[in-house]
Amino acid sequence: MDLLEFARGPALEWAAYILVAGTIWRIVGIVLLKEKPDYSEPRKPAGFGAALKVIWTRAFTAEPFAKATLYPKMMAYVMHIGLFGVIFLFTPHIVFFEGWTGLDWPGLPNSIIFFLGVATVVSAVALLVRRLTNPVLKLISNFDDYFSWFVSTLPVVTGLLIPVRIGLRYEDLLAVHILSVVLLLIWLPFGKLGHTFLVFVTRGTTGMVFERRGAKT
Amino acid sequence: MKNKPTVGEILQAKGVSRRGFLKYCATTASLLALPPAMIPRIAKAIESARRPSVIWLSFQECTGCTESLTRSAAPTVEGLIFDAISLDYHHTLQAASGEQAEAARHAAMEENEGGYLVLVDGSIPMGNPGFSTIAGISNHDMLMETVAGAAAVVSIGTCAAFGGIPGADPNPTGAVSVQDLVKDKPIVNVPGCPPIPMVMTAVLTQFLTFGQLPEVDKFRRPLAFFGQTIHDRCYRRPFYEQGKFADSFDDEGAKAGWCLYKLGCKGPTTYNACATAKWNQGTSFPIESGHPCLGCSEPGFWDKGGFYEPLSTGKFGSGAKVAGAAAAGIAMGVIAAAAGRSRQAKFTKEG
Amino acid sequence: MTSLDNIGIQVEAVHGNVRPILNEVLHALDKLIANNETTIIDLAGLPFAPGELDELEETLGQGELSAQLDALGSSRIQETTYPGVWWIEHRNAHDEVVGRYLEITRIPEILSSQDADVCAGRARLGEQFE
Repeated sequence: MDLLEFARGPALEWAAYILVAGTIWRIVGIVLLKEKPDYSEPRKPAGFGAALKVIWTRAFTAEPFAKATLYPKMMAYVMHIGLFGVIFLFTPHIVFFEGWTGLDWPGLPNSIIFFLGVATVVSAVALLVRRLTNPVLKLISNFDDYFSWFVSTLPVVTGLLIPVRIGLRYEDLLAVHILSVVLLLIWLPFGKLGHTFLVFVTRGTTGMVFERRGAKT
Repeated sequence: MKNKPTVGEILQAKGVSRRGFLKYCATTASLLALPPAMIPRIAKAIESARRPSVIWLSFQECTGCTESLTRSAAPTVEGLIFDAISLDYHHTLQAASGEQAEAARHAAMEENEGGYLVLVDGSIPMGNPGFSTIAGISNHDMLMETVAGAAAVVSIGTCAAFGGIPGADPNPTGAVSVQDLVKDKPIVNVPGCPPIPMVMTAVLTQFLTFGQLPEVDKFRRPLAFFGQTIHDRCYRRPFYEQGKFADSFDDEGAKAGWCLYKLGCKGPTTYNACATAKWNQGTSFPIESGHPCLGCSEPGFWDKGGFYEPLSTGKFGSGAKVAGAAAAGIAMGVIAAAAGRSRQAKFTKEG
Repeated sequence: MTSLDNIGIQVEAVHGNVRPILNEVLHALDKLIANNETTIIDLAGLPFAPGELDELEETLGQGELSAQLDALGSSRIQETTYPGVWWIEHRNAHDEVVGRYLEITRIPEILSSQDADVCAGRARLGEQFE
């Protein structure tokens, strides 16, 4: 079995199992925790609507802080949108998802995907530089922050190397790319990358708590 | 070794004019994927080359490779190359058979010891020597006996090069490739199911012209023809880049000649010259005719996922295994939550 | 090939190869004019899309001079509408195309009478008088 067959076969398969198990573990582990009793009078009945509202509104910075956080916010948006584009709008990836879910959707031309990929890497590097140079961020950043950055950026870089080729064979570059995705999928549920699915849980909870207390949502 | 006539002398004796010879050299340069500037060198080399002896062994094969080679147009196998090369043994093409043929083989081996070329098509069964025999001799024995005094071995077709279809899962005959058995002679693999005719001829011509075997890649395939992937030379590549794909056979995209990646094309991982040299004297090749590349010049291509499964399809294991993973997740989650709740209770109690 | 033409497909045209080749010819003509240097372009190694080779041939066109060579099959040596740019097509004894070149030169080498042939011919003619 060569590297590509290993990457596409057992490696990806086990990554899928670990991803599923890990994600469910974290969600169940959080959801089953005891809710801290709130003894104050509810100002408004906290509904699910508040949860949904805050999931949306937290995407935008609150007015007093907007100007100060504009730069990292922009960089983060470029990174996330770029990542979404290269993962879900690149035809070979769409074919991959189709094999798994049976769903098909149109993709973008390769040149646009390449541009999005480059934008993703550039914004990711910009954010890393900020994390390393900003004194507050540097103080509070830990292994989780840096490793999560690494496993999210590496697949985009290895993916960009495939059309660039740098003299190596396509199969080897593809194998390395798939293995970098495997690394991402394995780490995803466990560190701060878990925000991928947990962000909805946390924002939703905040929304309901704030609504109940009558705070601005 | 007997003093054989040079190829130049043979051609002259056949009444081939200098212009004809130059034409032959030009087409040879084209064939060997050499720049036209090399034509004078080729002319000089061919003129003074002596006819090498070639023994062709056919083992577990479908004869497609021989068929493909005899269709080779440039520069006409029947006409020139095989007249230039003395094909001393080929049990499908030759008139003699049985003991007479074997005697011819032994004579050629003795006369040309150390200098003859062995061409092999078909895989060799190791499960039982009786699975494939010629004149009562097992394939394995005939191979080892014949290569002993050879200058080099050329494995023609994916069966001889990598085991091919007999070697595909479950490999009932225990088929192996030539390079699995021959360890002490230079080997060149010319894979393909079948190989492109002119590629086979080119390897022989290279040996004839320069007395050496071509430069090879890690699978011992001539770099001149197997150095690029189909994908990198495919004329439909612009459609791949633009995101224009055929979704099913005969749909609008297929009729417009768009990229066949989604129909399972193995072009990106297949090294061969089909996209440039094409087939039937440059008429077409599978992709141009609307069918995705099978990857037939790659080792184990029969077992690399379905021909119609796109390259980027993953293999996910069964639904049952994923459900198992989910169950494991739930179990871990419950345990983690229980631990969390007991910590929470402790905290609230201690206040 | 009428039966193939009856298959109802509308192939989307790809024009990747014609312009770069014409550009190469342009530079070769510059070299020919400046230093009398010959350039040979082998058309066999290029992945032409269906119709592109015909497009190239049509673009270059047929000029004043054409020659037919009968040696090991027929060959056509045609000067295109661009003097100095020759289209050379070699066929074997079965009339299959075995080589296709563009030669940018004053006169393709293969058109000249070759030394070996001239000597052999002189010997033959000499025999007539003996």
